[in-house]
Amino acid sequence: MIQKKICLIGASGVGKTSLIAKFVHSMFSDKYLTTVGVKIDKKTVSVDGAEVMLMIWDLEGDDEYQRLQTSYLRGTSGYLLVADGTRQITLDQAIEIQGRVAAATGPVPFLLALNKSDLASQWEIDQSRMDDLTARGWKPFQTSAKEGAGVEEAFVELSRQMIHPH
Amino acid sequence: MPIPHRDSWAGSVLESLGIAVLVHAYGAIRIQGNPPDWLRSIWPTMTAPDATLPGSSPFLENFLIDARACWAEGGEKRVRSGAWIEQTADGTELSLEATALTAGGQAILLLEKLGDVFEAKKSMLQKARETVIAYQRLNSELQKKEILLNCISEEMNAALANVITSLRLIEMEKDPRRIAQLLSLASRATEEQQTLINKVLNVFAAELEGLRGRDGAAIAEAKLGDAIRAAEENVAAQFADKGVRLRLAGSGIDETRVAMNSTHLTRALSTLLENGLQGAPVGDEVQLSFGEESGSVLIRVSDNGSSFPPDICANLFSRAGTAAPGPQASQLPLQFCRIAVANCGGEIGYETRKDGGNTFWIMLPTVTATK
Repeated sequence: MIQKKICLIGASGVGKTSLIAKFVHSMFSDKYLTTVGVKIDKKTVSVDGAEVMLMIWDLEGDDEYQRLQTSYLRGTSGYLLVADGTRQITLDQAIEIQGRVAAATGPVPFLLALNKSDLASQWEIDQSRMDDLTARGWKPFQTSAKEGAGVEEAFVELSRQMIHPH
Repeated sequence: MPIPHRDSWAGSVLESLGIAVLVHAYGAIRIQGNPPDWLRSIWPTMTAPDATLPGSSPFLENFLIDARACWAEGGEKRVRSGAWIEQTADGTELSLEATALTAGGQAILLLEKLGDVFEAKKSMLQKARETVIAYQRLNSELQKKEILLNCISEEMNAALANVITSLRLIEMEKDPRRIAQLLSLASRATEEQQTLINKVLNVFAAELEGLRGRDGAAIAEAKLGDAIRAAEENVAAQFADKGVRLRLAGSGIDETRVAMNSTHLTRALSTLLENGLQGAPVGDEVQLSFGEESGSVLIRVSDNGSSFPPDICANLFSRAGTAAPGPQASQLPLQFCRIAVANCGGEIGYETRKDGGNTFWIMLPTVTATK
């Protein structure tokens, strides 16, 4: 079986832990509990007929209180960059963080997850921001850790890009 | 320097601190003495003294790369892993941190089970991050309101310009038919303005409705103890910063429930405590007291600072107060308190203390515990 390490990266409160909880344990809680440190989960996914064991590293949110430790990214095959679609500032932060991560990891596959898509009335990412992301060559996934929409798809697509790099 | 063994007193100290000492030698990492229970609960194979650390933790495997570099360098250098979580066999999550260092010529790995200090840090980060998120949401909301107000004022300006232009033209016009046309135009522009003003009023009415809560006083209910503790937490850092103590006086708060939305009650109490803090001299205290009698509870927040001048006192809770802000009390939040308290059938007030200082008070109806 192929084994791959992936990291979930993004600002605080964007839903990294919730995405993992939904993907690995099919669970969701509305209560915000900040992650301090690192937690690692495992899940096997099937990608184009291949079984891939994902070692999913849930990294503490990057903010003024705690900066991302790049040593945690060592050996990662890809990463899920997470932003909260109801807080536009977290997308700006994600773009900034991606620059630092890319400098540390080199060119590894990553996907941007715009999380909390269930909160449509509070959505702050407009079409011009989406166009801006497309211009960067990013293909954002809209995800909802609450309802599960796009969650499995994002992890599977990232896995696909990791095992079939362009 | 000898490495403390578990059966030595130094080893006992380390064990009580939740620290396991391991030594890296000949390619293996071995525990010194018997592995502590918490270590065995994570790695059940570590049962015997001098047991080898299994390579089953991806986090530790990653950290050991940095650790080996540290050991190779020697000297006083040490590296820390940062916190991570491991699961025990029964699913309990333990927070750990590893430190690599060299001592007595040996490569040492300390594994620490993080305890109260870590939990306190976690709790502080939780609150700090919640505050940042709330601030970001509020900021975003303010920006939207600013845009909305800008659009409204633009539209009102355009309508007003139509009225002014029409009136100027009427002044110069002699043709009655043309005057009638201009009057009609001015009239339509005025009506447009009236519609816009009504729209603005409706927006603010909706905001006020939101503030009051659609459920109304009959349904809203808050545990006084929870609200006081939440308010206390909200202001704790500010109190610490000024070196002012918060003294609570009264008993039975945990049994008391009041007819008010809990978020509004916490906000109102926080505001009163902030006002008390602003008034209190450095190093002094603010007193929060409460007493229950005949279906209501009286909450008083007192400080020993200088009393407000009479002209400020008169307008502390009113809109007029915002026009002439006082040096101590924050009047916009006090307006909020007045609206929120009045809405649930309570009262809010202020009095100057006889021996100097200020007291803000809130009287709220209590409700019988049903849940």
